[in-house]
Amino acid sequence: MNRFSPAVPADEYLSDSNVLLYLSDAVAQLLDHKEEYTQFGVIRYFAEYFSSVKNGNHVLFREFNYIRATPHNRASFVRVFWRCYRQIGKSGDLLSMLEYRSLLQLLCPDFPVELVQSAARIVLMDDAIDCLMSFSDFLYAFQLQFYYQEFLDSVLLIYQDLLAGKSPNTVIVPTSTSIEQLPSVAAEEIDKEEQQQDGVETSTLAQCIDALCDRFKHSHPSRSCMKEVLEQTDRVSYYSFLMSLAKDESINQTIGALPSKAELLIDPEMDQELDKLIAQISVSPSSNSSGSAVGGLKEVQRKASPRRNIHHRRRIEVESDGSTEETDSSEN
Amino acid sequence: MADKEKRRSAVPPPGMPAGKATKSDGDREFLSQAGVGELLRGAILKMVEARSDDPIGFLADHFCNLASVTDTGTAGCSSGCGEEEQQLNGGTMCAGAQEQQLLNRALWHLRLAHHSQRSAFSNNVRVAYDLLNLTTPRENVGDAPEGPDGSSADSPTEGVEGGGGVSGSLYTHTLQCLCSEGGVPASTSAPLLRCLHCHNHEAVPYDVFRYGVLTCAVFSDYIRQAQRLYAEVCSPDAGPASRALGLAVLGTLKEALETSQGCDANCCVNANNKACLEANVKAIRYLEASAKISPYKLAHVMVGGQTQGPGGNMDAKEFENEAAELFIARVKVVS
Repeated sequence: MNRFSPAVPADEYLSDSNVLLYLSDAVAQLLDHKEEYTQFGVIRYFAEYFSSVKNGNHVLFREFNYIRATPHNRASFVRVFWRCYRQIGKSGDLLSMLEYRSLLQLLCPDFPVELVQSAARIVLMDDAIDCLMSFSDFLYAFQLQFYYQEFLDSVLLIYQDLLAGKSPNTVIVPTSTSIEQLPSVAAEEIDKEEQQQDGVETSTLAQCIDALCDRFKHSHPSRSCMKEVLEQTDRVSYYSFLMSLAKDESINQTIGALPSKAELLIDPEMDQELDKLIAQISVSPSSNSSGSAVGGLKEVQRKASPRRNIHHRRRIEVESDGSTEETDSSEN
Repeated sequence: MADKEKRRSAVPPPGMPAGKATKSDGDREFLSQAGVGELLRGAILKMVEARSDDPIGFLADHFCNLASVTDTGTAGCSSGCGEEEQQLNGGTMCAGAQEQQLLNRALWHLRLAHHSQRSAFSNNVRVAYDLLNLTTPRENVGDAPEGPDGSSADSPTEGVEGGGGVSGSLYTHTLQCLCSEGGVPASTSAPLLRCLHCHNHEAVPYDVFRYGVLTCAVFSDYIRQAQRLYAEVCSPDAGPASRALGLAVLGTLKEALETSQGCDANCCVNANNKACLEANVKAIRYLEASAKISPYKLAHVMVGGQTQGPGGNMDAKEFENEAAELFIARVKVVS
């Protein structure tokens, strides 16, 4: 609270903060589940509701319209997604776009496939969309696409106009929706081959994006970050631009949902839990049968690689020495 | 306002299935029965009054606080309500714990609004005072209205048992908490607290309580500004600022404070009657004072200070203490 800032009118304060949206959602939820919630008291219900909004757990299992309703909800959902599936990243598994969609739909049943596709396009540079992607690549691309969706849609329209050779000054940016976007994406794919390598001139694109930012109130990546990314090359394609934005650490920090890439997979609590579980599973049968020295060696191996899942672990025990990535992949 | 609530809730939000028209009457009835409109109106008013930077966090705290007040006896907020999570079992809880609980709630109210939002702050001080008054063992708690200025000033030594005011020890404790929450180190705030001190057995009337709380709030702000001022004066990597520079800045500060004196720190206790007459004089003095500490003036003095004056350095703590002394010298001592 800064007493030197001019007083904001009450209605402006309320509309800026999205707080009315949460209040009306809270009432709607209360009405939908009257019996469940009222036995603890209405006040207690509101306390729980707003605590969960504050903690970011409120988006779990909610409908897509709610999840995307506010920047806070979007960031919360990205965070929930990361926390739920961090172990996938640790085990190093690569998944396809449809598999990521399934994971998302476990958290939000009506999560649209278009958004997952867009995120996959960023990772795969709009090429061979059914390739497998690593968890962290997908996660940061997904974050960018989901959090700044409206802005990126507009940038895509500008990009396409520039590709088609239209003057950037006449570009009209409608309040785009994903439905409007679909045919244009299809159109782009037709003449993709010759234009993919070229892209557009970064200076022109930077100008257009700057003008676009003036019209967007809040939900765009910071101008300086985008400028920095665009200044690195002379020509850029839409998806390589987005890829650079997705990897940009300061944009990630602004959104505030995910840690930096280096810390993305560190989760000591879960590691401990897994170690405990694995110890329970494997120690009980083996400790009876095998000699103490061999058993001890196996324990060391287990501790050394807590990130591999149990399936791999069994295989290691069968093989003679501690296996490496190569042997695993050659067997598959 | 209550109507507005209902109308809003009757409109299904985007994610909800349509065709609820038939249910809406039942819903309306349910909401009014449960007092939801009233509850939300209170919450929104509080929120708009405080203008918190984090309205969601504010609402979460607000409802948790309400919940812990209303359903004493049931389990605490089960998730994420922080300190409110402990149960509030009025009857079974020992007196000390109950006192602590009330103190926490009172501090929470005091934190709601900045002291510059005077009417909101005054309301909150009143609420906090009434809360703390509850710790004195009495039967009819909730409604013991005391006039905003009257209180029980005629029997200040009657003791804790009467419920005529907040006990001195609790009052002192509240002020300590306020200062430490405001980021003022205990060593800096100790002299101030000595000025505002009441004996532990005394019953503190509302006026004194308000004066103490307001002074501590202003003091915390003042010390923060002083710390910032020091940070400006010393260059970040060149170590402590020179003594000459520090003294020059403090001298300017002192001059400004002297100009505005007479109606500064003790603005609330006895200014009530003469307030109207003094208002104009006050305003002129404040303008003069702020001119004296304007950036131009300050820079001028600092240039002068750099060329002459004592040598040696002045560290942050020393500067802070000096600044605090200037403030405390102008605080009216509570007798």
